[in-house]
Amino acid sequence: MERLFFDAAALLAILFAGLMVVGRDPVKSVLSLVVSFFALAACYVLLLAPLIAVLQVIVYAGAILVLFLFVLMLLNVGREQPDGARRPIQTVLGSLAVVVFAGLLLGMLRATGTRIPILTEAVGPEGLADPAALARLLFSDYLLHFEAVSVLLLAALVGAFVLARREEAP
Amino acid sequence: MIGSIPLSDVLLVSGALFSIGVAGALLRRNAIQIFLSIELMMNAANLALLGYGAALGTHQGQIIVFFVIAIAAAEAAVGLAIFVALFRHTETIDVNKINLLKW
Repeated sequence: MERLFFDAAALLAILFAGLMVVGRDPVKSVLSLVVSFFALAACYVLLLAPLIAVLQVIVYAGAILVLFLFVLMLLNVGREQPDGARRPIQTVLGSLAVVVFAGLLLGMLRATGTRIPILTEAVGPEGLADPAALARLLFSDYLLHFEAVSVLLLAALVGAFVLARREEAP
Repeated sequence: MIGSIPLSDVLLVSGALFSIGVAGALLRRNAIQIFLSIELMMNAANLALLGYGAALGTHQGQIIVFFVIAIAAAEAAVGLAIFVALFRHTETIDVNKINLLKW
């Protein structure tokens, strides 16, 4: 039953990810990716990570992709024109690289997915899905990393402000 | 196995999403769409991390994904600011037309 739901949500995610890549209109691409990320959030719930699923919806689908939409509206980027600027050799080589890469990656994942080591201190499904346990770990063992990320976010904020600021005439 | 979900399913979906992301990053010319493809690749990696974390019965996968999401937010802010600055200078975000450093 869970497998059925997981596969359905995963198919939806893959379908809309494909639409995102194929579409020439950037706004439609962003909206397809929103749907894809919602489907991925459903997958995360089935993988016993409800907190990450909520973060996925709020931060990824909510904040990051809305930021993309804002920038698209700001720049007023039109559809990609199928002009002759791109040489066909680029497309051919790019497609070839994608096919080779996908084959290698999927083959490798098929080979590794069957061997899983047994952990001595494995947590049960209830413990894994418990946000309190995750938070306890985050604020004890991973406190330093957490603080480093907060500094990183501040640096990104200042950096984005400096980059996007209009230059003033000296 | 996570419930009744085999780990191979999770890895297959993750690999497929990552490959779609690679295709987008290689074949698109619009910088925004390339950036969206990179976000998709990060999500594919997150899915694999959560799958392994759940299959092994450990919280580590969720912790790493938490940090990946935070760093993706920072990356999106800086990347989009670069695009805005770039657009102001060149009036385009077509990566084939931005060739100032190409000899």
